[in-house]
Amino acid sequence: MTATLTVPTEPDLGRMQRDRWAKLRHAMDRQGVDALVLLGNSNVSYATGASWPLGDPGRANVERPVAVVTAGDDRPHLFAPFPELVAPDLGLPEDHVHGPVYLEFDEGARSFATTLADLVPAGGKVAVDELPGSVRRAGDLLFPAGAPASADDVIGAAKLIKTPDELGFLRRALQITEQAIVPVQAALAPGVRQVDLTAIFLAAAFDLGAEANILDPIFQVMPARLADGPWTTHGDIACPLVTTERELVAGDVLWVDTGLSYAGFSSDFGRTWVVGAEPTARQHAQFRAWREILDAVLAVTRAGATGAELTRAALGVAGGRRPWMQHFYLGHGLGVDSAEAPFIGTDLGDAYDERQLLAAGTVLVLEPLVWDDGAYGYRSEEVVVVTDDGWISLTDYPYDPYGD
Amino acid sequence: MATEVLADAAALREGRRRRALAAMEAQGIDVLLLGREANARYVSGAARLWTAGTRPFGPGCVVVRATGAVHLVSTWDEGIPDDIPHEHLFGITWNPGNLLAWLGGIDGVADARRIGTDSLTPRFAQLLPKVFPSAELVDAEPALAAARRVKTPEEMDAISASLAVAETALAAAVDALRPGVSERHLAAVFMDAMARQGVTTPSTQQVAWVTSGPLPHPVGRAKTAGAGDLVAFDAGVVAGGYTGEVGRTWPTNPDAVESSTKDLYRRADDLWRRLLDACAPGASCRGLLAAYGAEGHEPPPFPVATGLGLGFDVPVVTRDLPETAERQLLEPGMVLAVTAHVADGLRAVFRKDAVLVTAEGPALLTSSPHWQP
Repeated sequence: MTATLTVPTEPDLGRMQRDRWAKLRHAMDRQGVDALVLLGNSNVSYATGASWPLGDPGRANVERPVAVVTAGDDRPHLFAPFPELVAPDLGLPEDHVHGPVYLEFDEGARSFATTLADLVPAGGKVAVDELPGSVRRAGDLLFPAGAPASADDVIGAAKLIKTPDELGFLRRALQITEQAIVPVQAALAPGVRQVDLTAIFLAAAFDLGAEANILDPIFQVMPARLADGPWTTHGDIACPLVTTERELVAGDVLWVDTGLSYAGFSSDFGRTWVVGAEPTARQHAQFRAWREILDAVLAVTRAGATGAELTRAALGVAGGRRPWMQHFYLGHGLGVDSAEAPFIGTDLGDAYDERQLLAAGTVLVLEPLVWDDGAYGYRSEEVVVVTDDGWISLTDYPYDPYGD
Repeated sequence: MATEVLADAAALREGRRRRALAAMEAQGIDVLLLGREANARYVSGAARLWTAGTRPFGPGCVVVRATGAVHLVSTWDEGIPDDIPHEHLFGITWNPGNLLAWLGGIDGVADARRIGTDSLTPRFAQLLPKVFPSAELVDAEPALAAARRVKTPEEMDAISASLAVAETALAAAVDALRPGVSERHLAAVFMDAMARQGVTTPSTQQVAWVTSGPLPHPVGRAKTAGAGDLVAFDAGVVAGGYTGEVGRTWPTNPDAVESSTKDLYRRADDLWRRLLDACAPGASCRGLLAAYGAEGHEPPPFPVATGLGLGFDVPVVTRDLPETAERQLLEPGMVLAVTAHVADGLRAVFRKDAVLVTAEGPALLTSSPHWQP
């Protein structure tokens, strides 16, 4: 057991992929899966190391790279319009790199069945992550051994614990995000529109080498009181709400939430800002209360802790109110997906949280909040990687204008 | 775009919902369970948070044909049309049990004989029949694609608005082209110009690439445009849910273009004219692939035409789906993004325009300047 975990400043793409392929094959072996057919963007990225500027979901469904991983082969197959565009230097043999397939169409699904038959051993058990209608209609051809299993468990088991190379790329994605946020926070002033903040963020992110923006950046103007915000199903905070051309005014409290992708990794960033004013004493107190919750959670965060230990730690210093968004979580994992396992504090319930055992190399985004009805609230996100005896922070952005 | 989150206007919503209900009727689908945002927006008119890339299927929008009611997963009512009452909203959940209990309790769902989904996962393929044991689970995507393919007048306005944003942002990116500029900086300029117009969501994030030499490395995109290079721009935005796309290729130094490059542009223009002619009402989409052959070019490994609308629409015309292209007929009211792509092994000219198919013939919806030899 290693006592320390180091995050390399020069992560190695080839080594990262070799480690992933070994983990995937191990998980396939344990679950009796002979072949994975992956259609989801993040799963393809995980399995092949390929990454590309993600498109709008409508376009991404049609023009999607596809990956096939088989138990008997130490390299995956990649199908994409410009394989050399998405997968240079991945060490894939030439016969593992193919042109595009169009599984959203009957013709494409049937034609892919011929290719797949050459890759999957006869009678082999196949697992997939998605079943578009055309794939289901071609099911007899694509999956002659019977209905495919879910690939979620194989992928989930493989990607839960990050390798040092993965942490290196992830930290770079987080650093780009933080660097791209600096000019946004500097531009914060009355009269600036929410979309102007988005413009500054996107321009800076792409200039810094981000591959793609992964969600419409959130710069939500919070109401002072819940009753002044939108109606919600649970009577709690409505967040995240979509950015508009609304102009900021002095004193506005913004909850910021953004993410981008780099080398196939998703970043996540969250802070609270005040427009054109210093936080009041009451707002500073909110930040101190938030810091106390975060510190309590971090104090119990280590390999071997359960998700429930983290939620109990948060509840213990929050005066009984669940100090996170009721429709989300206290914390979530981060990697090729912007929110992936483990999920802690969701409506899956306490028993589920009890079963979530943290392991060294698991990445957590902790996002507690403090709501102080009548005076807004405070929310920030902290990204850590769990180690044997605690955690290492992957983020380094100040809490200004809050704090001492 | 406005200063508050607005649902789609009533006329836009009603025209689309009528078509969706008619498509359900035609296919005998009693209930739709939709996971794809474009489909959900088509039937609901709700403006929800945009995310990039594919998303695993999960039913977040329900349409009941018997009542015409739309139910949505949304924890708040901001951006939700007023014809979807609060009791038809269900908060975001991470618990499949909670989601299935909600689905099962929706009025009219228990009696459904045929339930259509727009995709599935192995998990939901197992779970849904347990909640709806007497219903047949069918693929609704063909019915929805048929409904979405021909645009209503209100949709045409939305597409035009989206194209205008894309063309303005494209002009800003082209204006930033000079020797030494990086692909990623051109993308940055495009994104900035898009967002300043009030639209914060792109449809493609490749944006710009140097067509000569090896294709760009995905990590970092630091490749820069050399003095003799041709740089392709793929400008796409999603405004009010609608995709607007336009593409151009510009020489880094337009004042010193070699004759072989000029010839490449002329050939691209010839191909482009032939492609435009192929967008005739009643014509088979095969004509778009045939246009490449007639001009002596191989179709590129990406679609040469796609439908524009909420997300990607049919038809999708690509060399890898020849039978599909053959069977798809162009109809008035369809909007296509048509791509001409000509390469000489050293570099390429890429041009994409939005074309409306009308009873009188193709009508060009984009007018971005393009470099001419």
